[in-house]
Amino acid sequence: MEFPISMVIVRRVKPLPYWIVPILALVVGLVISMMILYVMSGGQTTPYDVLLSIYYGFTNLGLLAKTFALLVIVGIGLLVSFKGAIWNIGGEGQFYMGVLLAAWVALFTGFAFNELIGKTTMILMALLAGAFWALLAALPRAYLNIDEVPVTLMMNYIAYYIIDYIIMARWRERQYGYYRTETIPETTKFQLIEGTTLSIELLLLMITIFVLVWLMFKYTSLGLRIRVLSSNPNLLRSSGISVHLTILMALTISGMIIGMAGAAYLGSVSHNLSYPIEEKTPGYGYAGILVAWLSMLELIGVPIAAYIIGALHTAGINIQIAGAGGAAVVNVFIGSILLTYAVLITISEYKIRIIVKKR
Amino acid sequence: MATQPESSNTFFSSPSKETPIIKLEGITKSFPGVKALDNINLEIYRGTVHALLGENGAGKSTLVKILYGIYTPDKGQIYIDGKPVRIASPMDAIKLGIVMVSQSPVIIDRLTVEENIVLGLEKFNMFAPTRRVRSKIIEVSKTVGVKIDTTTEVWKLSYTQKQLVEIVRGLLLGARVLLLDEAITYLPLEEKSRFYKFIRQFANEGGTVIIITHKIPEAMDVADYITVLRRGKVVGTVPVKNTSIEEIRKMMFGEKSSEITYERLPPGNPGEVLLQIEDLWVKGDFGDYAVRGTSLKVRKGEVVGIAGVAGNGQKELIQAVMRLRHVDKGKIIFENVDITHKTTHFLRLNGVGYIPDLPAKYGVSIENTILENIAIVPTFSSEIINWKRIRALALKMIKEYEVKTPGPETPVKFLSGGNIMKVLVARELTAATKMLVAYNPTRALDEATAIKVRKIIKSKVINENIAALIASEDLDEIFQLSDTIVVMNSGKIVGVFPAEKAKREEVEHLMVM
Repeated sequence: MEFPISMVIVRRVKPLPYWIVPILALVVGLVISMMILYVMSGGQTTPYDVLLSIYYGFTNLGLLAKTFALLVIVGIGLLVSFKGAIWNIGGEGQFYMGVLLAAWVALFTGFAFNELIGKTTMILMALLAGAFWALLAALPRAYLNIDEVPVTLMMNYIAYYIIDYIIMARWRERQYGYYRTETIPETTKFQLIEGTTLSIELLLLMITIFVLVWLMFKYTSLGLRIRVLSSNPNLLRSSGISVHLTILMALTISGMIIGMAGAAYLGSVSHNLSYPIEEKTPGYGYAGILVAWLSMLELIGVPIAAYIIGALHTAGINIQIAGAGGAAVVNVFIGSILLTYAVLITISEYKIRIIVKKR
Repeated sequence: MATQPESSNTFFSSPSKETPIIKLEGITKSFPGVKALDNINLEIYRGTVHALLGENGAGKSTLVKILYGIYTPDKGQIYIDGKPVRIASPMDAIKLGIVMVSQSPVIIDRLTVEENIVLGLEKFNMFAPTRRVRSKIIEVSKTVGVKIDTTTEVWKLSYTQKQLVEIVRGLLLGARVLLLDEAITYLPLEEKSRFYKFIRQFANEGGTVIIITHKIPEAMDVADYITVLRRGKVVGTVPVKNTSIEEIRKMMFGEKSSEITYERLPPGNPGEVLLQIEDLWVKGDFGDYAVRGTSLKVRKGEVVGIAGVAGNGQKELIQAVMRLRHVDKGKIIFENVDITHKTTHFLRLNGVGYIPDLPAKYGVSIENTILENIAIVPTFSSEIINWKRIRALALKMIKEYEVKTPGPETPVKFLSGGNIMKVLVARELTAATKMLVAYNPTRALDEATAIKVRKIIKSKVINENIAALIASEDLDEIFQLSDTIVVMNSGKIVGVFPAEKAKREEVEHLMVM
């Protein structure tokens, strides 16, 4: 007996224009979010409320600034590995290891006596911590060909629980008995720009990283090798370039950049570590994946995508304040958009046809 | 004599009483910077094998891609069975009975042969019985004489078997017109002639075959009619029985055809030994020894040509020399340095150029630009890329090798197959300041370009005193280029001849012995 319905998936000869996908994903994803929020709040959060919050999110630049800058850095970090088709899902872990080591420098090393030395050491140690955390996944990927996606993902949880343990068992402040560390010394707090949530150090870090990564992809062999890694690793081999090393570098540099975002977060936003650490941020490592994807893996697209995602984040918080849902509202936005994006990117390259046979 | 197509015959009946199955009228197609097809008029009849010939970038592939709905023409009209049609996608083409088989099989490695064929066939669904698929494969493979177990996964098949799978899929799609885009050009000689038999049978049963090739003998062997394209225009259509290789060559290359010669190129002047291979044992992809105790020497100022039927260890030997394959036993010495355990990178920095087989897979990255494809080789750039220098190099290569491209910033995927090969050959010959290692260095190139490339290789060997180790499945190439001819069979060297004393019959005999 023949089944009357069959599905045929054909690759499109001409993919849809590539800028359509991110824009459509945003629109459709937001519509889906509105429906979810409407149903979940029992009709209390209307699409109008959501639109109002989104408008607030997009226009409230001062509030948006820190999220924007952190997302740009994390997004660029992920972009470095994504360009080589190495899927670093471990931004969260690398970010928090950066936070941890920066906190260690600020609280326990004595480098904090001097503002410049203290902040520089924080950023450097965070950089090394992020790089190290990524390297742990990069080594098995490069030399044993173990898929980096589950490894980097699981490393996030290892990072969370190591840090939670350290906060509770080692670094917990004694004075009030909260589940958190002492606040970092004034000398290590980043200098906020008046009227915004953004610090000068974070702004400089963002610009520096943007320029360096731009230079790397434009003028260095390493940048070219990472790009060729995704398009044809066979060419790397026959050109005499180590594929292992290229993979290792792509993932490690990615972690390095994201680690620095961790230091900036500690210095300009949180000022301490508190338990449970995994619930204290909107998940920059995961939001960064969305930023990198929406940028269509173009460096210049990262700030644009970060602005949009940052604005949606602010919008989400605004809805929370208005009383709809908990911390998960932001994730409703991000999840809906990412899912829509994944579906659309498939449809842009493949046609799916359902064929119903007539009897 | 070549008949010029008449563009004015639109309103008059064609000389033949029969309606052509395919008629193209005024087909024009431009890409940024190039006019790929310019007012093409062509008629193709039922029950015939029609070859489209032309030099690299003449527009052959563009023309069949238009017939298959991959591109749509800017201007012009296609008629099928006398009716005007619009072919906007391969689905449209398949509905009209037009099916394409390309040179790189489009099948999924991890699925079995049956699964691959069933997949995407509108006539079947995912749960359809595979009996019909199985019997069709057996039927076709009997005609062609290539055995396939329909339940094996595709990655275990040879190239020939994969092409067969593609053709069977085409037939099951109900093909009336088969478009073969260099689909059999790269098959081993013996299997090729078996495919010819199949093609002939298909045509005798009323099918139509359009073959795209840049090899004149292939077209002469299998086709009834040959249409020659040149720079996007039809030069003419001739019946095969009334023409000769020389006439076709003239149509293809114009004045350049006089440069086509298979005479031996001037000999090199072998000097000191540069590369020495001693008792080499190398394993193939499936774990058994592909190279079994091979020894040979390559001198400066000498071309050593390795002749052999594909799959006799040449590929593995070449890869071992380039340090892309593990050496199990034996030694490779380059410039008095034991390189058996050195890296490809070491060879690159020491002036070794490498032209691999299957250029689009191993030699270039088609998503990247010409510039990037040059800059990636360590010979041309250190940690910081000097784009100005790379650009100058690229422009020189484009000019010297007549690469047809809008510019050096063009992604390689927009070039024709032959032009991709030219980019690769140009890059590697520039990189080869001491030695060139190559496998089938000219196989994607048309005759005139292939001979030009051989001349450039030879003059480089003579003038710059470099060494060249070249394996080729094309005996003409081996005889034209080599100073020493080495015959490889079953992983062993079974004959070494100085080129001036080598006899073709003897070499051929050793190859298949």
